[in-house]
Amino acid sequence: MKNIIEIKNLTKEYKKKIAIDNLSFEVKEGEILGLLGPNGSGKSTTMNCILSLLRYQQGKINILGKEMTPSSYELKKEIGVVFQDVAVFDELTVYENIDYFCGLYIKEKNMRIEMIQKAMQLVQIESYQDYYPKQLSGGLLRRLNIACGIAHQPKIIFLDEPTVAVDPQSRNNILDGIKTLRQNGATIIYTTHYMEEVEIICERVIILDKGKIIAKGTPDELKELAKIEEKVHVETTNLNPKYLEIIQQMANVEEVNYDHFILSIYYKKGQNNLTKLIAFLDAEKINYTKIFSERPTLNDVFLELTGKELRD
Amino acid sequence: MFFHNFKYSLKTILKNKMLIFWTLAFPLILGTFFYMAFSNIMESETLDTIYIAMVTDNEESAVVTALKELNNQTEMIVFQKETKEVAESLLAEKEISGILFLENKTNFVIRENGIKETIAKYVCDEIIKMTHIIEEKINVTLKEEFVENQKEIEAIIFRCMEEMNQYFQNYVPNLQNENHSNLNYIMIEYYTLIAMSCLYGGIISLMAVNQTLANMTEKGKRISVAPVKKGIIIFSNVIASYCIQLFGLVILFAYTIFILKVDYGSHLLKMIALALTGALTGVSIGIFLACIFKIKESLKLGILLAYTMFNCFLSGMMGVTMKYVVDQNIPILNQINPANMITDGFYALYYYETDSRYYQNLIHLLLFASFLLILSSLRLRSQKYDNI
Repeated sequence: MKNIIEIKNLTKEYKKKIAIDNLSFEVKEGEILGLLGPNGSGKSTTMNCILSLLRYQQGKINILGKEMTPSSYELKKEIGVVFQDVAVFDELTVYENIDYFCGLYIKEKNMRIEMIQKAMQLVQIESYQDYYPKQLSGGLLRRLNIACGIAHQPKIIFLDEPTVAVDPQSRNNILDGIKTLRQNGATIIYTTHYMEEVEIICERVIILDKGKIIAKGTPDELKELAKIEEKVHVETTNLNPKYLEIIQQMANVEEVNYDHFILSIYYKKGQNNLTKLIAFLDAEKINYTKIFSERPTLNDVFLELTGKELRD
Repeated sequence: MFFHNFKYSLKTILKNKMLIFWTLAFPLILGTFFYMAFSNIMESETLDTIYIAMVTDNEESAVVTALKELNNQTEMIVFQKETKEVAESLLAEKEISGILFLENKTNFVIRENGIKETIAKYVCDEIIKMTHIIEEKINVTLKEEFVENQKEIEAIIFRCMEEMNQYFQNYVPNLQNENHSNLNYIMIEYYTLIAMSCLYGGIISLMAVNQTLANMTEKGKRISVAPVKKGIIIFSNVIASYCIQLFGLVILFAYTIFILKVDYGSHLLKMIALALTGALTGVSIGIFLACIFKIKESLKLGILLAYTMFNCFLSGMMGVTMKYVVDQNIPILNQINPANMITDGFYALYYYETDSRYYQNLIHLLLFASFLLILSSLRLRSQKYDNI
């Protein structure tokens, strides 16, 4: 797959503070690339530099093989952007909002009508087309925001935390819509601090912290960076502290802790440690109400690499 | 692209209740209040003849001759020759509105502020200005013809007198007899109302431009990443703002003329030209505020409303005396006050036919608007920002 976007040595300073530190990466055609990082890590700043909205001190940004500048109108035709905050006109209806923004890219009216219908179908807001933004719920507003950014059917789509503060139904709807866009051939750059979303939809992930790339790869590749392979959580009310030491000595155990009636055991290796643990609990007659196992998450990777949680 | 953006810009403005209130409804409401508050005064009060004493050491001078001639042309202002002592006594007894000193130095003195004094001041200001021009002309003529060409002194004096007379005829304010019956105290209120309406155009342009700037709003970011030149978007938004503003002015003129029966006199076209320029100035103030300060839109609107109201206050919205007080004490304030430029232009049209004063205000307004537009365009040229 060829590179659609190439960023080399991008550095952005603001008031003597480095927001992006010598960032280099590329986005391949047809992929969904996740830019993951906590608030303030430089995700949105990177996106705004790529879009030529922000000045940067150093670096080169090429899109579709051409340098991106504020007057790269031919390149801009191929790009769709959904910003973090909802950017629609309160005075226009859902349909008019999409028509206005789509009209900045597409002159031909009939073509536009068709595109608007498809965009509304994608985010499932057809039945609200005559509503004004103030009449919409937060989730529907987010969906409208997405429709305004992608109605002109761009080849490259930037999505900046499109699911912030939306209900689960709208969130699923938005994620499904993004997958559909990808299936239709779009290349997507998706910034978020929700690791679960990245794991669901992104083929490749770049983890940012303090403006630097701290890890990149597929979600599975990244998870290998975590020291653990399995986490088991047991809900038990009266655990004698002596058992913590015993469990710590068991095979593959990296760490054990007991907090708020939850016993958490982190295993370095293996994915079938649960059976042995259940056998131990039964033998020691330790009562438990719930027990479950999970694979390490990208949050564990981030924790491993930076010593802090993604949502800190 | 221009029409696409223009169409939606019109839609967003017309559907914005706050904009419609301040730019279309508020001037009508205020005009109605003026009418209700002052209608009795309008019916009962007309302006009496303004008496001005002139104190001169040369009764044969061209200026004195011309002012005497002026007495035959209008009943609105009467210049009467008096000695300094008598003139001062008449002024103290409020028998006259002011004293025009035509001695070594030309000067106009009043005792108190009021509508009569304001009109008298404008007329005498013109006379003083004209006198300076004549003096300058005489100096130039003397230097060129007497010193350099060594011509006969009688011939030079004759030429000077001829030119003085000619200048006088051109510059002496030809006061409008035809409007005399309509002169009333509240016209200045309506002028400031129109000025306010013109400047409120800034609210529309401020909001229209603000939403196209990536460093100001999210919509601006979205528009900035679209394949459209920023200039086209801003220009179409500004034109849409101006159209709405003109629509508002048409309604205001129609309402005051046909419903409130305000008589703007016989210079309606010139008034409209001044109002159009005033509206352009209002729009340019809005653009300037939109792009210069990186603060919340609501704060910008607050600044604009306060600036407009303060300017209207200084130009006489709450009483004509304020206009005169500022003219007397801090004239620079009125010279940079767009509301005053508008009202002063109307004033010049209404109270005397001195086109020079009208055009002076018109040109000042254009310069003021151009200055703001140039500064704004320099700022708007920036396509990338340090932070957004």
